[in-house]
Order: sequence, then structure tokens, then C-alpha cells
Amino acid sequence: MQLEEAAGHVAEPFDAGKTIIEHVSNSPLSEPLIHLPPVFGIDFSVTKHVLMLWLVSTVIFFVVTFAVRRYLRQDRQIPSGFMNALEAGVDFIRESIVRPNVGDKWVDTYTPLLVTLFVFILGANAIGLIPIFDVLNLLNHTVLHSPHDSFFSKMLEGGVTATGNFNVTAALATITFFTIIIAGARAHGFVKHWKNMVPHGLPLPVTLFLIPIEIMGMLVRPFALTMRLAANMTGGHIAILAILSFVFIFNTQFGPAAGMGIGVFSLTLAALISALEIIVVLVQAYVFTLLSAVFIGMAIHAHH
Amino acid sequence: MQGFALAYMGAGIGLGLAVIGAGLGIGKLAAGAAEAIGRQPSATAQITGAVNLPLFLLEGVAILAEVFALLVLFLGR
Repeated sequence: MQLEEAAGHVAEPFDAGKTIIEHVSNSPLSEPLIHLPPVFGIDFSVTKHVLMLWLVSTVIFFVVTFAVRRYLRQDRQIPSGFMNALEAGVDFIRESIVRPNVGDKWVDTYTPLLVTLFVFILGANAIGLIPIFDVLNLLNHTVLHSPHDSFFSKMLEGGVTATGNFNVTAALATITFFTIIIAGARAHGFVKHWKNMVPHGLPLPVTLFLIPIEIMGMLVRPFALTMRLAANMTGGHIAILAILSFVFIFNTQFGPAAGMGIGVFSLTLAALISALEIIVVLVQAYVFTLLSAVFIGMAIHAHH
Repeated sequence: MQGFALAYMGAGIGLGLAVIGAGLGIGKLAAGAAEAIGRQPSATAQITGAVNLPLFLLEGVAILAEVFALLVLFLGR
């Protein structure tokens, strides 16, 4: 009986593009999870990606605080359990990302920021790989049947990878953008930082020609950071969903047997791509941190 | 309808060109890195570090091309 009902739902033609876009995008702005009044014309309503951002920061805050407090309370200096992994991660970022790029003098100034960026991006990326809401959606579809406008069923619309949203990564890249300026200004003085951006000792026409190029380069860096992270996160999900939607496309085109046949290949391939996504999740968090460190280092070690 | 088809074509051709460029770049980088490591296995860590940064910058350019191809596709129709 459940199957008949499910078939009734699928009776409308399956649109792969619409389904995929719905899955990777934020919950619709017209019906957010929690309505909040706009402040200064900015809509502060909580959508699904905002909820995920809160969830990630809360989880990281409590897990890290708990681990560090337990470590500080014990008698021995040797870390144990989760603290080991945490210390190894922080040490890796400090010694092999921040120190070679930023230099010995400023390494402790910028390590906290970059570790925070790394852990936050990693958490937000990784939580997108866990299909909590998809499982809940399946449960809702088959057993619960909660009404359309309830909080629970609103939570099931839209994707969960907050870093797959261009606005989130743009905010993260803005932090990097201002950190670059602050780093340069603290190392060389505010005016000198802007002068450093153009190489010295060039003829005047070349300098004038370089100024717009350097300004463009300054703005392109955070833009590239934004696009890289969000596009990578969205791209992986789109690839997995596109491969999985072959099952439904073949099912409607050629009948159930073809759908099941292609399902074997689709599921295998999707599982393999999911394994690849685990690497992508780690690499993208690493890349964002590394490039931020490189750009900060470029502002500090400007050519004279 | 014709604009729709042209947008699809433009996005497809653009994506293909981006893939060609990125493939050539990554291939050159990998070849250079493998050769360098083969000659000087003790400097593997340094070589990997030197290869990583341009690799990510290249990947960023390819991703940008992909995003713009998608924009052409979505805005073109």
C-alpha cells in the first residue's frame, strides 16, 4: 500500500535538474525555518544553511572546549584520546601551513584565525556528507507524513552543506580579505602596505599601468576563494545526485527492470564518488587555509 | 528556442576548453613533480609543497570557468 502511495507521488514526471538544484540549494527564502523581523532592511530569518552554521559552530565549540578542559585538568602533560588528534591537527596547521608562509615573527598571531577557519570549514563540509536530513525525509515520506508547513518538514527542504552556499564562502573570504590588509598594515604601516602592492623602481607609466591590475588581483583572490570552496562542495553533490537520478530516469523511460539494472552501477559509482568527496572535503578545507596563509604571507613579505 | 540552444552550446564548449586547459596544466605539473622526485627523492616534501600551491590556483581557475559556464547556461536562456 505504501508503494502504491509512493507511486502516486512519483506520477508527476521526474525532473532531475529541479530535484538536484532543490537538494543543493538553501531552503527557499520565502519560507525560512524561523521568521525573524528584518533589522536595517536585512532579513535575519533562519534558513537551513544558517541552522547548519550554528550547528557546526556549536558542535565544534563544545567538543574542542571539552577536550581541552579535560586535558588541562589531568596531571600528565601527554595528551590522550581525541586531544591527540586535535593537537596533531593544530600543530600541522601551525608548522606546515602558517610558519613557512607567514614567517616566524607572526606565526602565533595568525595561527588561531587560520585554525578556526580550517576547523569550521572542515566541520561544515563534513556535515554535508552525512545524509541525516535525507534519511529523515525518507522517514517522513513513508511513516510520519508531517504537514507541509511544520518546522520539521521545512527542515527537510534544501541542502545541508552550508559551505556549498556562495554567501557563506563569500563571508569567509571577506574575513581573509580584511586579514590580508590588516596583516600588511601591521607589518609595514597602513600607507606602506598599499605602496608595497606595486613593485618599486619601475618607470612611471608601468607603475600607473600596474595599479589597476594590482587592485583587480586584490579583489580576485577572495573571489577565487569563494568560488573554489562553494563550487567544489556543490559540484560533488551534483555529481552524486546526477548519477543516482539515472535510476529514476531509466525507470520512467524504459521501465522498472532497466532502472534496477542501472541502479547497480549508479549506486557503486555514487559510493565511490562519496569516497572521493571525503578527500575533497579535507583538501578544500586545507586549500582555503593554505591560500589564506599564503596571501597573508605575501602582504607581510612584500617585495621592496 | 534558438537562444536556448546557443546557450547550451556555449556552456558546453566553454567547459570543454576549461577542461583541456586544466588537464594540460595538471599534467605538466604532475610530470614535473614526478621527474623532480625521481631525480632527488630526498626533497620530496619540498617538491610537494612547491607543486601544491600552483595546483590549487590552477584548480581555482578551472572551477571559475565551470561556474561561468553554468552562469552562461542559466542566464543565457
